[in-house]
Amino acid sequence: MASLIACPHCGPRPKEEFTVRGDAGITRPAPDAGEDAWHAYVYLRDNPRGRHKEHWHHTSGCRRWLVVERDTMTHAVYTVTDASAPGETA
Amino acid sequence: MADFALLHRPALATAKSGSFGAAFSNERITLTALPEGHVLHVLAARGSGDLTGLIPRIGDGSAHAVRAYGPGQWFVIGDASLSAAEIFGKTPVLDGKASISDQGHGRVLIGISGAAVEAVLAKGTAVDLALSNFPVGHSAMTLIGHISALISRTGPENFELLVLRGFAESLWDELIEMGLEFGVDAKTAR
Repeated sequence: MASLIACPHCGPRPKEEFTVRGDAGITRPAPDAGEDAWHAYVYLRDNPRGRHKEHWHHTSGCRRWLVVERDTMTHAVYTVTDASAPGETA
Repeated sequence: MADFALLHRPALATAKSGSFGAAFSNERITLTALPEGHVLHVLAARGSGDLTGLIPRIGDGSAHAVRAYGPGQWFVIGDASLSAAEIFGKTPVLDGKASISDQGHGRVLIGISGAAVEAVLAKGTAVDLALSNFPVGHSAMTLIGHISALISRTGPENFELLVLRGFAESLWDELIEMGLEFGVDAKTAR
């Protein structure tokens, strides 16, 4: 896994300071969307190989939620942005 | 009516004190348990804009009273202990743009200084502490080992660490160990 994450607020920090929530691309279903949609939202995840967007929390730093776009195969980190930035929250 | 009187006991009152490690060194580290005055956590309201000019008015005017924590968050620190009424009395200054949360019960300050202070802290954190990157007055929330702490530079060879009260003695012991090669003078008396 990528070992240095360039937090937009704190600068480069080791991954130990962060908590990974997972896929940043999934959308919360409507309350009445039905059991299948909610089961998929809560439990089902892809395991992508390659470029992937995830929510990371800078738990031991600025405590902001970030969107980290990284490559699960090469460990390259492409972008790190604050999750509150326009268009970042699914 | 309370059944027990709550007595304030300094977090580091019974921590290790004295001289440790290398006996002859010109780069000795000094660890100091700093006064437990006030620690105010200030949080900006959503969309309140740039408050960097406003926050110092909460503080006591001392040089390093305001320590940036993250976007829209600051710790305001001073040596005087403040009553709840005194803290509440500061809220009009913020004009609804930010809130104050008293953290004086929860976080304590440790001073660490000496010629080798950057080398000692670098054993615990990945933050670049070089003076050119981390000037006097700069703060960074980070991990020192496994303990979360706010590192602030108060001088070329002086740092202050704001740490959760319950972790203060563990961090204190770790700092002594990290400084052994340079020699450490640990002062808990206040």
